[in-house]
Amino acid sequence: MASIQFNAVTKRWGDFFGVRELDLAVADQEFLVLLGPSGCGKTTTMRMVAGLEEPSSGEIFIGDDLVNDMPPRERDIAMVFQNYGLYPHMSVRDNIGYPLKVRGIPREDAQKRIDAAAAKVELGPFLERKPAQLSGGQRQRVALARSLVRTPRVFLMDEPLSNLDAKLRVTMRAELKHLHHELRITTIYVTHDQMEAMTLATRVGVMNKGVMQQLAPPEEVYNDPANMFVAGFIGSPSMNLVHGDLVDGTFRAEGVAVPGIGGGSRTGVVLGIRPEDLRVVGPGQGVFDAPVYSSELTGESTLVTFNVGGRHVCARGDRHFRCEIGEVVGVAVDPQRAYLFDAATENRIRL
Amino acid sequence: MNAVATSLSRPVVTPEAARRRQRAQRRRAVLKVLEVGVLLFVAALIVFPIAWMVMTAFKTPITVYSYTIWFQPTLDNFREVFNPRWGIAQKVVNSTIIACSTVVIAIPIAVSAAYAFSRLQFPLKRVTFQWILLTQFIPAVTIVLPFYVMFRKLGLLDTYAALIIVDLAIVLPYAIWTIKGFIDAIPLEAEEAAIIDGASRLRVIWDIVVPMARPGILTAAIFCFILTWNEFLFGYLLSRQKAVPLPVGIIGFLLERGPVWELIAATGIIITIPMFFFALIIQRHFTKGMNLGAVR
Ligand SMILES: Nc1ncnc2c1ncn2[C@@H]1O[C@H](COP(=O)(O)OP(=O)(O)O)[C@@H](O)[C@H]1O
Ligand SMILES: [Mg+2]
Repeated sequence: MASIQFNAVTKRWGDFFGVRELDLAVADQEFLVLLGPSGCGKTTTMRMVAGLEEPSSGEIFIGDDLVNDMPPRERDIAMVFQNYGLYPHMSVRDNIGYPLKVRGIPREDAQKRIDAAAAKVELGPFLERKPAQLSGGQRQRVALARSLVRTPRVFLMDEPLSNLDAKLRVTMRAELKHLHHELRITTIYVTHDQMEAMTLATRVGVMNKGVMQQLAPPEEVYNDPANMFVAGFIGSPSMNLVHGDLVDGTFRAEGVAVPGIGGGSRTGVVLGIRPEDLRVVGPGQGVFDAPVYSSELTGESTLVTFNVGGRHVCARGDRHFRCEIGEVVGVAVDPQRAYLFDAATENRIRL
Repeated sequence: MNAVATSLSRPVVTPEAARRRQRAQRRRAVLKVLEVGVLLFVAALIVFPIAWMVMTAFKTPITVYSYTIWFQPTLDNFREVFNPRWGIAQKVVNSTIIACSTVVIAIPIAVSAAYAFSRLQFPLKRVTFQWILLTQFIPAVTIVLPFYVMFRKLGLLDTYAALIIVDLAIVLPYAIWTIKGFIDAIPLEAEEAAIIDGASRLRVIWDIVVPMARPGILTAAIFCFILTWNEFLFGYLLSRQKAVPLPVGIIGFLLERGPVWELIAATGIIITIPMFFFALIIQRHFTKGMNLGAVR
């Protein structure tokens, strides 16, 4: 077990930056999730820890070892790949046992550990099959068992659930969480699925365009976003972001005026409010009135979209709420739950 | 009934339309007959010489020149072929040694080269690969003389070594190209997983790449063997007595009184025997290789 430390790590291909000036400290036993849109550098970051990618500059430590020049096999890590990275010509048993075979663990001991790892992910009955004869979820478990079989210092997982169907993903998510609780191995987990990030992480690192945007526990990333990108990326449906100006503590944009947003005046700001912090009320009873653009029942709630000055603003209403398209309703805003950003820098303006 | 309403709701089959459909059907039937005819003709062109050779091999010297397909088959020709005065047994040994050695040397080299061309980065990679393939397009006749001179200077004329070296030059580009295609298709993830699991580069090649590229390696090995086994031109010019390969041995049946067709045909069958086994292996292995596939 070990901590992981990035000191000003940059990965560059020509003049394209995959990861830029990354400083990151992952504590021992932590479950760190790297979250961000496709192409933001999550995989690259992870591959640099694994040693499959060499940093262009900066230092990476695993425990006390500077690993920049250490080959992957000496780093004592295990990795689960997005497409599982199984060996199709080997049986499940041999797949799981490969890390032991390579390290010359005696056969008898190896068999015991393979059986234990397989039991942990409930693969016992499938040990003699080939990966092609397994379902996606079972293959995922093989990959998992292979990384468990040899208690590594660090676990790396690159979108391990993205190839599974929605239901299985939820089950496996719970299993991963349980496994981490049991084994307490430092883990870096990459995903573009915020639900996975929120549920699994001890801390979430939100990345965009190769730059770490915010590194904080899930609830902080959700409740206290550092900038407009994080605010817009976390939450589903995503936060409403309306461009406008702040005039004496009132946010003004076309068709909207929201009072009580701090004090002072400022031009070029963006007001952010999550759909769950907007309430649909009778006309004239809220902060502004707007016609309903669409209304969608998701099961646990109703999503109501309004047309406000040509933009769409979404509110999450009660699941029993019903309205007609085109109907004019009032929208109530709790100014305490509003966020303000600088339109130019996209940074948070603390109120 | 209202005629207009009917034609609107459901198209009526007019006599014109029926005739058109009939004509289309007839045209399709004619095309089908033509297709089968052409296929049969091509098949006959390919099969006839082989069938003729097989029949000749079982004919007696007297019936060889008759066109009959009703004759008393005999195994005498196969017995006669191995009569020491023709030296065919020695040539079978020569060809076996030359072809097997070529394959055994060529395949490891080809696998290493194919892996390098597929996975590693090195200067002039593309150019080198193109040049290796280009050597395939040089007509053998144009370089046979330099080869002859070279081997004479080296004192290697009429040795296995000379023929093996030449055959390696012939088969390696093909083998590298084939195996590279198969290695290209192996997902990089499997190799990276093995590296992380603790394998060295060589170990990854041996444990992961070679087994996964096995159908390609087997194909390359078999075709290398066939190319070498059937090679005639260099075998003819670079050997005298000791290293004469089997196909060149057939020349021995061209006597002053004319070619001994029945013995040539019998030797032809002996040359062809390994091919049957290879066809079987390829068939079996490929149906197996298919459902192994890549695993996602
Ligand atoms: N070997 C490479 N050469 C050039 N660009 C690369 C290479 N690997 C990744 N990239 C680029 O770096 C960016 C980040 O990639 P990646 O880390 O895989 O993103 P993701 O966050 O989706 O995992 C992408 O735009 C990708 O195209
Ligand atoms: Mg990725």
